[in-house]
Amino acid sequence: MAEPDRRFSFRGRSRSAHAGETLLAALALDRLPLLHRSIQYHRPQAPFCGIGHCTGCLVRVNGRPNVRACRYEPAAGDVVTAENAWPSPNWDLLATIGFLTPGGVDSLHGLRRPAFATRMYQRMVRRLAGTGAPPTEAGARALSAPALERSADVVVIGAGAAGRAVTAELAQRGVRPIVLERALRPTTLADAELLPATTAVFLPPPTETGGRRFTLLGFREPAQGVRVEARSVVVAAGGYDTSLLFGGNDRPGVLSADAALSLASSSRRPPFQRAVVVGGGPRAARVIETCGDSVEAVVAPGEIRPEVVRTANEHGVPLYPRSLLVRTRGRRRVRSVRLRARGSGVATTLDCDAVVLAHRRIPHAQLFFQAGAAMEWRAGIAAYGPAVRPNGATSVPGLYAIGLAAGNTPAEQAQRAARVAEAVLEDKGPVGPPPSGSAEQAPSELLGYYRELLRLPGHERWVACPCVDVLVSEVEKAVRAGYRGIEVIKRYSSLGTGICQGRYCLPDALLLLSLLEDRPPEKVGYITQRPPVVPTPLAALASLPTPTALEVEP
Amino acid sequence: MTFARNSYRTVVVGSGIVGLFTAYHLARGGGGPVLVVDRGFLSSGSSGRNGGGVRQQWETRGTVRLARESVQAYRRFGREFGFNIWFRQSGYLFLAENEAELARLKSVHELVVSEGLPSRVLDADGVAQFVDGIAPGAAVGGTYLASDGTLYPFPAIWGVYEAARSLGVEVQHGVEAMGVEVRNGRVAGLLTSSGPVATGTVVNAAGGWSGDFSRRAGLDVPNVATRHEILATESTKPFLDPMVVRVSDGLYFSQSMRGEIIGGVALPHRPGTARGQGSSPAFLASMAWALVGLLPRLGALEVLRAWSGFYDDTPDGFPVIGEDPRLPGFVHGNGFGGHGFMLAPATSRRIALAALGQPTDLDPTQFSPARFLAPSPPATQERLQLG
Repeated sequence: MAEPDRRFSFRGRSRSAHAGETLLAALALDRLPLLHRSIQYHRPQAPFCGIGHCTGCLVRVNGRPNVRACRYEPAAGDVVTAENAWPSPNWDLLATIGFLTPGGVDSLHGLRRPAFATRMYQRMVRRLAGTGAPPTEAGARALSAPALERSADVVVIGAGAAGRAVTAELAQRGVRPIVLERALRPTTLADAELLPATTAVFLPPPTETGGRRFTLLGFREPAQGVRVEARSVVVAAGGYDTSLLFGGNDRPGVLSADAALSLASSSRRPPFQRAVVVGGGPRAARVIETCGDSVEAVVAPGEIRPEVVRTANEHGVPLYPRSLLVRTRGRRRVRSVRLRARGSGVATTLDCDAVVLAHRRIPHAQLFFQAGAAMEWRAGIAAYGPAVRPNGATSVPGLYAIGLAAGNTPAEQAQRAARVAEAVLEDKGPVGPPPSGSAEQAPSELLGYYRELLRLPGHERWVACPCVDVLVSEVEKAVRAGYRGIEVIKRYSSLGTGICQGRYCLPDALLLLSLLEDRPPEKVGYITQRPPVVPTPLAALASLPTPTALEVEP
Repeated sequence: MTFARNSYRTVVVGSGIVGLFTAYHLARGGGGPVLVVDRGFLSSGSSGRNGGGVRQQWETRGTVRLARESVQAYRRFGREFGFNIWFRQSGYLFLAENEAELARLKSVHELVVSEGLPSRVLDADGVAQFVDGIAPGAAVGGTYLASDGTLYPFPAIWGVYEAARSLGVEVQHGVEAMGVEVRNGRVAGLLTSSGPVATGTVVNAAGGWSGDFSRRAGLDVPNVATRHEILATESTKPFLDPMVVRVSDGLYFSQSMRGEIIGGVALPHRPGTARGQGSSPAFLASMAWALVGLLPRLGALEVLRAWSGFYDDTPDGFPVIGEDPRLPGFVHGNGFGGHGFMLAPATSRRIALAALGQPTDLDPTQFSPARFLAPSPPATQERLQLG
């Protein structure tokens, strides 16, 4: 590989990146960089999700706040600084807030008297709130670009395996779709117009009239507005490795399998040497295959599947099935994890420098919800997804799902692609609501896992929502005060209102509330997925056609 | 059996801020037992969907006085209700793009000053001092009142909800009001999706659904629900103190205690057609365009979420407070036109009085339901239905 040639400054020091390398990959030389402090208690944070959703890699670039280092390719001369930490993410005096308020800051009941002091409190709290400094005008102006407007019969969202399979089948039938792909540098796609680095953020329900009935909004990095009209939309957006509740679950070094896999392939070196992989399924096997020499152990909430055992044995990795992951330890970074065997209760401490969460992969279901598709509870992963027919049709005419969104295994989706392509061309629309597939699935073991875990002392100080620093105790307090249901608890505790919009905390919050409210998780409610599904620059939205040209009603 | 009793002295329809405050005052004023029913969950309607603005700059004396009283109540809220609502009095700044708009704002200013509130008229430079980075020429001037402000709506809901419940008010969610039972020409009960309850007094505080409920009770009312959209950005350190409102297009935005920019802009609405509380591409585009045009630095902020709620609009822009002369026992506390939260403390006290059959100090030509029954509609109108 050529010498890195893009010189930029990071916190005053000169660094460099290869062309096409993300800022995060350039900074994650041999371990995850500490880039950020959490919003309220200033706990150190490092990249967690690796796919542009969490707060772990937020930095300021050229006067623009909250830039995701994993979604940004540095240019020569860029000025990158840390946010929300003083004097630096390594040593942050404001972390004392967390030490001084071990039970959490109660912003609902606290700080309201005496009257003369409230103004002072407010000024102080307001200065402490917020992540980065406000944007500069120069930083904003550098983002402005004319919008990209397109129209096509078929739009495919996602150019992963499922999206490519359906695109190829459409091409065989003479249809050339527009394909939106979020990855900054996807492999080229011959049979379609591929829009790289483009995220679909808003898919309103279709208009009743036929023709190009969908209007899809998105943006292309960094801030180009994208508006696509289409007759049919095939969502092949895949899924993501979600979070898990335990002590220190956002301590730097805890990362999702998505992040581990993408950094292992894009960094110059893997950002860890001794990782504990959490999970006993195919995703865990994939992490061991990819990062084998850097894996210290495999820990699973339940049983470990034979293929994982095989892969682990090949790499000489010890296995800890049916184990509670109790907490991580380490100042500023993960140094060890504490386990407790389920049943026997035997405790084990494993030294490590990373914890890779590969236990639960759930679909990106936000666009389906927005478009008005009927949703179903998928008991096996304890998450909602769209109700889908075998030919990919959802309850919304013209909206199709393939891949993880449709609950397909990789083997299935290759076979399904042809049927989906045919259904798109026939465009018959759904005949009645799609059948629910949830009855066939064994319910997730996670609920039982959490039932055991949440008996452990000290769990109330765990972080339920890392973006906004909401503790488990705050959720418990809301339930004790008589509030019920995820929608009300969200508003009461602010859980799920941060930068990831609940993508990582809500799947666990449903299970937590299920236990606290003593009803099945699917009855706790479903959070309305508000647009945009991914934070979208105002500059990108401002470049879209002005209101006179658009329908007002959704 | 859903309800704790068969019969209540008063039933309030709607558990938004107006309904809950009214129930609280009823329970305190001897109007109990009180039942509150709501078709959704707590905070699912407009009380959980507004931008948190509280202002006293209005076009009529009657509204200015209600707003001033409400501001005082929100200042005391933390002490009285035990919840911190983060009421921050950092002003409302109205922007004029031309001299005609500025003249209109000046007449509001004169009325507000005559009520003892020290509003100020600003020129373009004065405006720029409050809005750091405003685009040159974006405003010729404006008016500013420092004691206006913003609050965080949710804790206000929790505070009044808990206070009302501790006074014995029963609140039932997921129960829809389907109509009223009328006997001998007056209200004898409420019909709900969970069955009937007996009551002599029904308060319609259903916000965006109040027109529907009045019509279900057989009353022809002019209330119209219009959907208004709003968005919130990611949070940054503070750089904007006042709530900024532009007269020409109804653009309003402020920076919350958490550091987010929260605001909306008026769109051409088709009243009464949409019942979803969703968002539209048109809003996202036009709001972004308006914000970035006024304050270019905002282009680099990211929108986290957008949502919408209903304004319960009346033809003259004033709320409807009092017993309906056509149906004794049916009391209106609605028609707030998107300003229920900011006027709730003062108006709810009077709605409760009306429900108790006691006189209020409100000007009947401005606020009573009877005004729409007069042969000629009232001349005064509130046109400052912004922010």
